[in-house]
Amino acid sequence: MSTTTGSEGQALAGAAAAPGRRIDLGRLAAYAFLILIAIAYIGPLLMLVLTAFKTLPEFTKDATSLPASFSLDNFFEAWDKANFPQYLLNTAIYTVASTVIFVVSAVFLAIAIARRFVRGGGTLFTLFLIALFLPAALIPQFQLILALGLYNNPIGYIMLFLVNPIAIVILVNYMRTIPIELDEAAAIEGCGYLRYVLTIVLPLSSPAIATVAVLHAIGVWNELVLATIYLTSADFYPITRGLIVFNGVYGNNWPVLAAAVLMITLPMAVFFVLAQRWIIGGVTAGAVKG
Amino acid sequence: MAYHFGGGRSRAAPYAFLVPALFLYVLVSLGPSLATAVYSFTDATGLPNQPINWIGLENYREFLTLGAAAQENWATLFRTFIFCVAVTVIQFSLGLLVAVLLNQKLRGTKFFRTLIFLPVILGVTIQGLIWTLFLYPLGGPMDNLLGLFGVQSEFLGGQPMEAFAWVIVVQIWSNLGMTMVIFLAGLATIPNEVYEAARIDGASRWQVFREVTWPLLTPAVNTNLVLTIVGSLQAWQLFLVLTGYRPGTQVMGYLVYATGFGATSGGTSASLRQGYAAAASIVLFAVVLVIGLTVQYLLRRREARLLG
Repeated sequence: MSTTTGSEGQALAGAAAAPGRRIDLGRLAAYAFLILIAIAYIGPLLMLVLTAFKTLPEFTKDATSLPASFSLDNFFEAWDKANFPQYLLNTAIYTVASTVIFVVSAVFLAIAIARRFVRGGGTLFTLFLIALFLPAALIPQFQLILALGLYNNPIGYIMLFLVNPIAIVILVNYMRTIPIELDEAAAIEGCGYLRYVLTIVLPLSSPAIATVAVLHAIGVWNELVLATIYLTSADFYPITRGLIVFNGVYGNNWPVLAAAVLMITLPMAVFFVLAQRWIIGGVTAGAVKG
Repeated sequence: MAYHFGGGRSRAAPYAFLVPALFLYVLVSLGPSLATAVYSFTDATGLPNQPINWIGLENYREFLTLGAAAQENWATLFRTFIFCVAVTVIQFSLGLLVAVLLNQKLRGTKFFRTLIFLPVILGVTIQGLIWTLFLYPLGGPMDNLLGLFGVQSEFLGGQPMEAFAWVIVVQIWSNLGMTMVIFLAGLATIPNEVYEAARIDGASRWQVFREVTWPLLTPAVNTNLVLTIVGSLQAWQLFLVLTGYRPGTQVMGYLVYATGFGATSGGTSASLRQGYAAAASIVLFAVVLVIGLTVQYLLRRREARLLG
């Protein structure tokens, strides 16, 4: 996706530069505005970083001063007391398990709809398209999990993340663009359905599958509400719930709390910068087709 | 046409293989979604194996008309609407402005885009905690900044309307990146030639935007409006992290959660009024549906007028 075509910029800069070499006020204003916005985004993050390196007395004395030294004590304290290794492991298990199961099952659903292998595929697709508008499923879902005896159970929790209507829409739209000639070749060679999906559809859809997997994983990783509703044993907490509980206990010790938040934020920020192309491509997929 | 694989017998294969995904969707998401309507006519609690009685419209009558609680419910509905309007207007305009600026040939475009989108990835827990620190009322950065202008705020611990306003700020900060990238994707579809033609005609910057960019951006405008309106009507999770369930600040989504599952943490209990909470979520659904469909209708009409 190329978002920086610069077409308008060239046109505008050309028009503005024509009357002479005066300073382009519009361009200056644009920068000034963007820098203001950037400050609004860097400010809270910077505060987090600085606080994470301060001692509690330093923070209490002056919340916005620079840390006297860049000691890692807060990080070690947070790591030990916030039970991080356990919560991170839990989150990783929930994220990987639900993403793998969801994506594999979704590929079979999406290709059947995209290629009209099944009757009523169009109606099926509509069921996923309208999901955005439907009432919250929270309460019957809770009753269902209770009835199945999966309350406060990691399996029940993972089960809640085996659906993702937007991901289905992205997959179907992408698979519709795979040339049908390949199907023909496969059919003539007597390829079975499972082999067709695994050896032809899967590799050809890999960009969309990667996008969907990344988006789904981010959603599971960040989930707080369902973790609060369904998991009551601290042994099962994902990192989000762990952070909130830690906030409840350590709410007054901002340096340690900030260190805890930063330890989660930093790897996610790095991951985002690396996977940015897929993430942004995914959220805008189909968004501008009308 | 669709090709069939492995001969006649395996025509059933596509059906068989799509069953897991469809079954899970119906079981975990679509079914419960629709069953919310059924539960709203019952006195279901948050305990397993309890008898559930059909009580007709009683939950709705109570929610909308019964005493002081109903008055607070109407106030919550109104607050949800205000939240939606404030978030949509500001997030939409800022997102459009930032996207148009970043679509020009400026240095650092990629840096700005990455920075503004980053919070979307971090999720409500981290968004909320970062801002709780930033809004630290005893000499935190925002406290100092406002102090320069002689403004005092107790931020999230202040008056309900004040706390509410700060949640709106955090909501926009957290989701602006989404609006921005959708506009950027829309801007990328407008071909260079159109701008060049406008330039040759001697159009000013504002005219180019008004006559070229804005109408051609219609699909992105529609997507952003619908996503932001529906999203902000249903949003409430930042309230959970930032303010907790405070009277005078909560929105509909939080009301549903708090009556159905308790204000702070989970658990199973007879005091959880899940039937009543289901009725509240159907009321919210009705609001989303009416507003969502009206907006869709108006946008379609506008699109037909603009693009033929």
